[in-house]
Amino acid sequence: MSNKELTTDESLDLITNMIGQAKRNLARGGSFYFLLWGWVVMLANLGHYLIDKYDWYEHPYIVWAATIPAGIASMIYGARHDRKAAVRSHLDRLYGLIWMAVFIGVLIILFFMADVSYNVNAIILTFAGIGTFISGCALRFNPLILGGIALWISSIIAFNLDLTDQYLAGAIGILAGYLIPGYLLKRVERERI
Amino acid sequence: MSAFKNLDPLLHSQLRLAVMSLLIGVDSAEFVFIKEKTGATAGNLSVQLDKLSTAGYISVAKTFKGKKPLTTCSITRVGIKAFEEYVNTLKQYIE
Repeated sequence: MSNKELTTDESLDLITNMIGQAKRNLARGGSFYFLLWGWVVMLANLGHYLIDKYDWYEHPYIVWAATIPAGIASMIYGARHDRKAAVRSHLDRLYGLIWMAVFIGVLIILFFMADVSYNVNAIILTFAGIGTFISGCALRFNPLILGGIALWISSIIAFNLDLTDQYLAGAIGILAGYLIPGYLLKRVERERI
Repeated sequence: MSAFKNLDPLLHSQLRLAVMSLLIGVDSAEFVFIKEKTGATAGNLSVQLDKLSTAGYISVAKTFKGKKPLTTCSITRVGIKAFEEYVNTLKQYIE
């Protein structure tokens, strides 16, 4: 490509072509987070539910410690992905901001869990639903939009259950809202490469 | 009939217009990405990026990726406005 002046038609062709070039490099790797967090949170929910229900151990919340290595793995993956990518799309940026906002919301709820009568799981499912729904809309990927709705439904169900059973509702919600759409997204990402 | 406006000479050049069209669609892009997509030589691309940066159309950040220098470019608000005006003027010519 040189510095030559263009005719109007050449200008338009060039603009269309270059915008198309940038589009082909849109966000990839989103499924990793849904699958990682889907498995960790679903198993932690199930673990908490079983330990509490059958009185296996007096501190069932210990299972949530699994989210710490998952958080570290997410950060490492994100940093590596950013380092490798030669371009950052608007979608990449938006995606990161949506989940950062959800994470801050979850932290606030965890901090004030006594004030919400320990209904943290039901509230976190609402937040997860918001993040998943908006991610699905941004990616124009219907399974994630439906996943967000599934999380909201599981949140409504959880609000109507006792604290122990809320964890079972959480596990099912995460399976429907994170894991199933996450695997479908992974398949689409593979086809795109 | 409204008078035809002149096309922005800074944008009415093949390589600079290509760079701006690439950057309008992304948040930021590295020098190597722009070089690969435009097929320009590194020297020529550097000169044209400098011109766009001096005009305030793009911002250029120079950092390091490990030990290698890394140049990342993104379009500015001034650049977006100039690009939109360029496209609107182009439309006038075509209509």
